Amino acid sequence: MWLWFSKLGSPRWFYELSGKWLPWLYAAMVVFMAVGLTWALLFVPADYQQGETIRIMYVHVPVASISLACFPLMAVAGTITLVWRMKLADMVAKCVAPIGAWFSGLALLSGAIWGEPIWGVWWTWDARLTSMLIQFFLFIGVIALRSAIESQDAAAKACAILAIVGAINVPIIKYSVEWWNTLHQPASRISMDPMAPNPPEIWVPLLIMIAGVYLFFIITLLLRTRNEILVRERRSKWVQDLVRKG
Amino acid sequence: MTDKSPVSVADTQTLTSLGKAFRSTLSRDLLIAFKRRNDILNPVMFFLIVVSLFPLGVSPDPQQLSVIAAGVIWVSALLASMLSLDNLFRADYEDGSLEQLLLSPQPLYFMVLAKNISHWLVSGLPVVLLSPVLAYMLYLPSEAYGTLFISLLIGTPVLSLFGSIGVALTVGLGSRGLILAVIVLPLTTPVLIVGAKAVADVSFGLPVGTHFAILGAMLALALTIAPLASAAALKISVN
Repeated sequence: MWLWFSKLGSPRWFYELSGKWLPWLYAAMVVFMAVGLTWALLFVPADYQQGETIRIMYVHVPVASISLACFPLMAVAGTITLVWRMKLADMVAKCVAPIGAWFSGLALLSGAIWGEPIWGVWWTWDARLTSMLIQFFLFIGVIALRSAIESQDAAAKACAILAIVGAINVPIIKYSVEWWNTLHQPASRISMDPMAPNPPEIWVPLLIMIAGVYLFFIITLLLRTRNEILVRERRSKWVQDLVRKG
Repeated sequence: MTDKSPVSVADTQTLTSLGKAFRSTLSRDLLIAFKRRNDILNPVMFFLIVVSLFPLGVSPDPQQLSVIAAGVIWVSALLASMLSLDNLFRADYEDGSLEQLLLSPQPLYFMVLAKNISHWLVSGLPVVLLSPVLAYMLYLPSEAYGTLFISLLIGTPVLSLFGSIGVALTVGLGSRGLILAVIVLPLTTPVLIVGAKAVADVSFGLPVGTHFAILGAMLALALTIAPLASAAALKISVN
């Protein structure tokens, strides 16, 4: 187990391993996305209240739920950077910040497109929208701090601290904002009963879409991290061999 | 008590000197602040000016102003605390005394806490004391004065503590200006929400005990975590 853990610290090992994973991940993503999107866009019945706009949910919910996972991931990677000085963890932490910002931004955008027909407004100061916006600001802060510090090592540690402090703060922000103002519908409980408000024909395609978007997230994260590995290890022999090979 | 191993002697020495080191850091920072009076006056003046911009920009109408008064005062206090933060470690970083502080045997947590307390006494407390005057100028309902004062009294130390993390992270950077605000402002939103809501709620005649309890909890959390995070950040920035 510890051998595995120490190997994880080696960027080269990770680069080679993730290279083997990527084709499988691509294939799985294409399958999940194709099934999920076709099902969601063509076969899910229109909602009795919201009509066809319910289909926006199949993009909005996966994107939003993954953006929520990014900050904890960054904080965990930051902790590993601080405690074990693992280079790879910092590369992941660096790469997840812009992806998290993008997913938060996409969640806000898809939410606005969904909100316009249903609530009649593109934006409202509702709890979830506001906390998503603040989370977006937190990601921007981490990215700004990273780009402001020149020393790579200092930037890694500083961003790790900010990520941990931010991750402690995210639930506080979430609850304080929720208590402040709530309009957003709560998450619907899933049910196996076909007559329930949220029957399997609604939530199964949603689960497939969540899996598909998660795979997309993992692939983007892997690609970014692999790129980062190549940039940081550009002076090492194995990267130069790799480049020479073409 | 016959055992006089060197370890226990060293322990008692550090223990006795911890309180002393805390007090001397605190009094040193206060002394420096009082020697440079502008450092005390600037945040208060900034607070006063920003608050007086709102009647000019929005409307002098008492009804409109009394609605936004709580929020305006809270946001202005937040900005004033943000702008004064730069003094927190900057001068010490430039003249090298921060490095001495990091090298000292005392736990950095208490040293950072002492600096935070002195910073709040110099820049946060005057803003709190001035707030009833500004509340009067913005036609805040008079029954909300006490709530505004107490919420600022509990809330502004939290702003200082969270802010000190941001300052500690950016103290070594050449161009800091806006990056500090970008990092710190999102972190302070819960304080702003609860503090401003307390004042708004009491204007509607609602009870505000919960708000104070939440603010107090935030202060307790900030007191526990923020000096630790700032200390770790200072170690990174000074290296």
